[in-house]
Amino acid sequence: MELPSPNPAILDRRAEIVARLKAALPAGTVIDDPRGLVAYECDALTAYRCPPLAVALPRSTQEVAEALKICHEMGVPVVPRGAGTSLAGGSLPTGDAVVIGVARLTRVLETDYADRIIRVETGRTNLSVTGAVEADGFFYAPDPSSQLACAISGNIGMNSGGAHCLKYGVTTNNLLGVTMVLMDGTVVEIGGAHMDAGDLDLLSVICGSEGQLGIVTEATLRILPKPEGARPVLMGFGSSRVAGACVSDIIEAGVLPVAIEFMDRPCIRACEAFAHAGYPDVEALLIIEVEGSPAEIDHQLRLIRGIAERHGPEVIRESTTAEESAAIWLGRKSAFGAMGQINDYMCLDGTIPVTELPLVLERIGELSAQYGLGVANVFHAGDGNMHPLILFDANKPGDLELCEQMGADILKLCVEVGGCLTGEHGVGVEKRDLMTVQFSEDDLEAQLKVKDVFDPKWLLNAAKVFPLAVTEGRRP
Amino acid sequence: MQTNFTEDQLREPGIARANEILRACVHCGFCTATCPSYQVLGDELDSPRGRIYLIKDMLESGRPADAETVSHIDRCLGCLACMTTCPSGVHYMHLVDHARAHIEKTWTRPWPERLLRGALARILPYPGRFRWAMVGAKLARPFRRLVPDARARAMLDMARAPIAAPSAMDQPQVHPAAGPRRGRVVLMTGCAQKALDADINAATIRLLTRLGIEVVIPEGEGCCGALVHHMGREEEAKQFAARNICTWMAQMEGLDAIVINTSGCGTTVKDYGHIFRNDPLAEAAAEVSAKAKDITEFLATLDLPAPERHGMRIAYHAACSLQHGQKVTAAPKTLLQAAGYEVSSPADAHLCCGSAGTYNLMQPEIAAELGRRKAGTLMALQPEAIAAGNIGCMTQIGARSGVPVVHTVELLDWAWGGPEPAKLAQG
Amino acid sequence: MTVIAPACEAELAEAIRAANGPFAIRGGGTRSPAADRPVLSTAGLVGVVLYEPGALTLVVKAGTPLAEVEDVLAAKNQRLAFEPMDHRPVLGTSGDPTIGGALAVNASGPRRVQAGAARDFLLGAVFVDGEGTRVRNGGRVMKNVTGYDLARLQAGARGSLGVLTELSFKVLPVPERVATLALACDTPGRAVAEMSRALGSPYEVTGAAWDGARVLLRIEGFADSVAYRAGELARIIPGLAPADEDPWPALRDGAALAPMERDIWRVSLRASHGAVLAERLREAGAAVQLDWGGALLWAATAPGTDLRAEMADLGGHATRLRGQGSTPARHPDPAPVAALAAGLRQKFDPRGLFAPEG
Repeated sequence: MELPSPNPAILDRRAEIVARLKAALPAGTVIDDPRGLVAYECDALTAYRCPPLAVALPRSTQEVAEALKICHEMGVPVVPRGAGTSLAGGSLPTGDAVVIGVARLTRVLETDYADRIIRVETGRTNLSVTGAVEADGFFYAPDPSSQLACAISGNIGMNSGGAHCLKYGVTTNNLLGVTMVLMDGTVVEIGGAHMDAGDLDLLSVICGSEGQLGIVTEATLRILPKPEGARPVLMGFGSSRVAGACVSDIIEAGVLPVAIEFMDRPCIRACEAFAHAGYPDVEALLIIEVEGSPAEIDHQLRLIRGIAERHGPEVIRESTTAEESAAIWLGRKSAFGAMGQINDYMCLDGTIPVTELPLVLERIGELSAQYGLGVANVFHAGDGNMHPLILFDANKPGDLELCEQMGADILKLCVEVGGCLTGEHGVGVEKRDLMTVQFSEDDLEAQLKVKDVFDPKWLLNAAKVFPLAVTEGRRP
Repeated sequence: MQTNFTEDQLREPGIARANEILRACVHCGFCTATCPSYQVLGDELDSPRGRIYLIKDMLESGRPADAETVSHIDRCLGCLACMTTCPSGVHYMHLVDHARAHIEKTWTRPWPERLLRGALARILPYPGRFRWAMVGAKLARPFRRLVPDARARAMLDMARAPIAAPSAMDQPQVHPAAGPRRGRVVLMTGCAQKALDADINAATIRLLTRLGIEVVIPEGEGCCGALVHHMGREEEAKQFAARNICTWMAQMEGLDAIVINTSGCGTTVKDYGHIFRNDPLAEAAAEVSAKAKDITEFLATLDLPAPERHGMRIAYHAACSLQHGQKVTAAPKTLLQAAGYEVSSPADAHLCCGSAGTYNLMQPEIAAELGRRKAGTLMALQPEAIAAGNIGCMTQIGARSGVPVVHTVELLDWAWGGPEPAKLAQG
Repeated sequence: MTVIAPACEAELAEAIRAANGPFAIRGGGTRSPAADRPVLSTAGLVGVVLYEPGALTLVVKAGTPLAEVEDVLAAKNQRLAFEPMDHRPVLGTSGDPTIGGALAVNASGPRRVQAGAARDFLLGAVFVDGEGTRVRNGGRVMKNVTGYDLARLQAGARGSLGVLTELSFKVLPVPERVATLALACDTPGRAVAEMSRALGSPYEVTGAAWDGARVLLRIEGFADSVAYRAGELARIIPGLAPADEDPWPALRDGAALAPMERDIWRVSLRASHGAVLAERLREAGAAVQLDWGGALLWAATAPGTDLRAEMADLGGHATRLRGQGSTPARHPDPAPVAALAAGLRQKFDPRGLFAPEG
């Protein structure tokens, strides 16, 4: 993966840039010690790394605006950072960029249960948004697996999804308004506590723009009343193909669970070792969750079991206690980390039409044999959002490159069957060069035009999302 | 995560272990969410993931520690919440221990800090010296505002606590079981705890003997070594530990457990096996570690009679060393409930109170902020008293809570026939 | 009046490239196209491209009549969950609403409060911009964050960034049972409080409106579940009783206000402010209804009334659906936001071919 070489003219002015930032921001806001910068050289995608020129950790929208204004004036690229949990390298710096992190913006600004909204600063973690309202019976619905640590800023940047998006939608469906700082330091309010836009729906393009249009510092989010109850059921199958077919049958039958998750044997074992959830040791496991009153749950599970039984499941087990349900979800949500016990891996994120699951799982198996790299599968089956984890050895020369090639082949396959490169992690740097597989030159140009409007100098996170060749001439 | 150690480096067992730990880390960042210092400071360098990076960089390059790296490692409380959170099983404790030892060997701290750390290392592990130091600090307290260093002021503040008179009960001796003997344990009587609060050992001994357990306090046991271990003073720590291992090995026959009622010490004693893994004492150390039990862990194995119910509302504070270091999470609450108390847990129960051994002395600002937050979440439960299983937490929270803070074992002793804890009677 | 009705995307692109002045883009013609511009009709762009009930996805040409789309879905017991509003009653127009028109105005009915707006069900779009370039964005899968979401940006853009040619949607199963519950209530404040109570409960209310006299709540799902939730709602909101009729299409379309000889407004604002504004407007003599739990206010005001003057302190935005006033029909955005919108229009339609008319 090629990173643009840092602009020597900017590197030469490093001292001046740092001095101006330090002068404008309170003490302790700017990091420029080379040792300290190393910790900001990557996010949760460690395959690509590059320490930034400096890091700023402002404490208010105003300070973010100050920092951006200085960078804008001096023509310095900026890489926004939330919690640094991106699996796509969304906050990977370039050597000539200032990282502006919002991790210190964590306050809850307003909670209104009658209107069912919460306004937070975007450095706040996803789970702690729910944490702020759950005692009163509410929750924030999008639940990326990294929800314990990931920040709302990043959720907005990547339009994050999660296991329960099958029912509740992704970030864009739960975001009502933002305060955003444009690259030139202008602070804009977009949307608010009301639904839908008056004129152009700018929120829809801001959400998922991977920090390329501005830095969102505050957000108004929809909160929902917690369901009366929820119960996951574990269903084990003899093959991934059969499990995939079962998922598509359930959806077609008109029963809509809140989540349908899939794990194959390598993932099941790794997650079990961490969470002790009592997962059955089977080839393919579905975790299906339904919500409602006990009677409603029983009714839905009866329907689902009826469908599943036609596919000859090896195990069907309903969770019987809240602790068991919590362990089942803890294991699933820790899957990526838990795989770390076993191997280095690269996590993919393509989405396919649910009906193509059996075919694609089989083809992934073939690619795995062809490349000689193992694959573990864990994903949101209900909406076709796959996460094949390609296993490799980061300390073995050449393995990463092989892994990248295989990943590209899998993602091309996703696009081929009518899907896309990324369902919830974002393009970042990881899938940047594959964008031409999914989009024509005109399709990409239309997207670039949006950035032209928000960030005419192309300073914000500019080395991401689009192939470098495509943005050549726009980037400074 | 990729690492870059040379073959030569990897031949050193400490580096080999560090490499193994680093390779497991996938840099997912989950640990940042439960790290107390990151919660307060908001800089990744003050989170486990950032520290892992700093340590990796320092060890790979083989260079001496530097001021920047040291400042961030020093801000780690060692609470190990990150280890509970980490899905990849990264053994942060062993990694940071290794880093601290490396810092101690390669970094010369500024002299006021050396003085302070030296003094702590020479005073805290010795109850007698600690008592005298507290008396001295009490006399110096009126001049507190003249002391320029916040850390030194924090030390003087510790002398707010009353100084416990030496107790006859925790001197070396054997406390026989009341009635037929059902078991036999060694009680580790601790060091700083003895000087700060003699009631904890007394309650432990009363309760255990009443339940038919013979309690042995052997001549020769002392500080577990944790206080100096966390300063990176590996050799001193090992001397303390070795002495304990030898003392306790002499008691192993028919011994059910080495009972520890200061969970900070418990975590370290349970790690003796690892600390001595490349040492002639390895086997004995592993045996000691296997026998070490927190008092609640041990009590949970006993059949308990019907309690005398006091129906008190108790907020339970889980000490980090207990919940993260030893993974003892259910036993204290289950026992308190079984004893008839109404028990609740605060929001963010996984976060450290800021005590963390000598942390509240070395990093008083962060410690105070964490103490304030912890007291806030505990008091939100409107308890009549707070229970904790570690003397450090008790002191830290007690200074801010407004209700008595007692050791879990004191409440259990009261419910099973002991006197009402003095702290409650006074409160 | 000139009407250009291209039969395919290529013809459409050609017509746009050849244009030398602004068009009026027309789907089904239900929203009064201006007479002084040539009409660019999507009537030739019709038909279902792909329908996969097992994947809950529908891909359809933008000019396809809504009724046809609904029929296709109904055959598989599925539907568009955002229940698009029909503008004909209020605007007094004829014609058949199209799926493209519905998306272009982000037409969302009462279920918006729970299930989401038209924009929320959109998975992808193809459009031809003001330079005649065909642009595809999004796709046909449920989760897709590949590149910027230009598809959703078309929702509510009223064709000002390009002419929609193909859309893909997430569709949902038709529920087994629908029930409506009513509660007599004549003050907007109490109505919003009761609706908030219902929407803040776990009983999944899929419609919460106030028609001026009654609070109306809708629940949908499996029969047993609907019965159970109806019972629970009646327990937390005393006085709530089953209603026999289906009031939702009329509420969706503002049908009760349509016959009045007044201006008709649709105001989007936070629910509690809906109660405040409704009270103010009632005092001023307007007829008012609330939907979306209070977050959508319908008002029939005396001709020429500047409703926005009443909501300056409340936030949100007001659209005048019908009537001629001295104020613009659409709510002006604050300057920096308006500048971004203008910038986008300039990029996608540099010649101003699709400039909105009012």
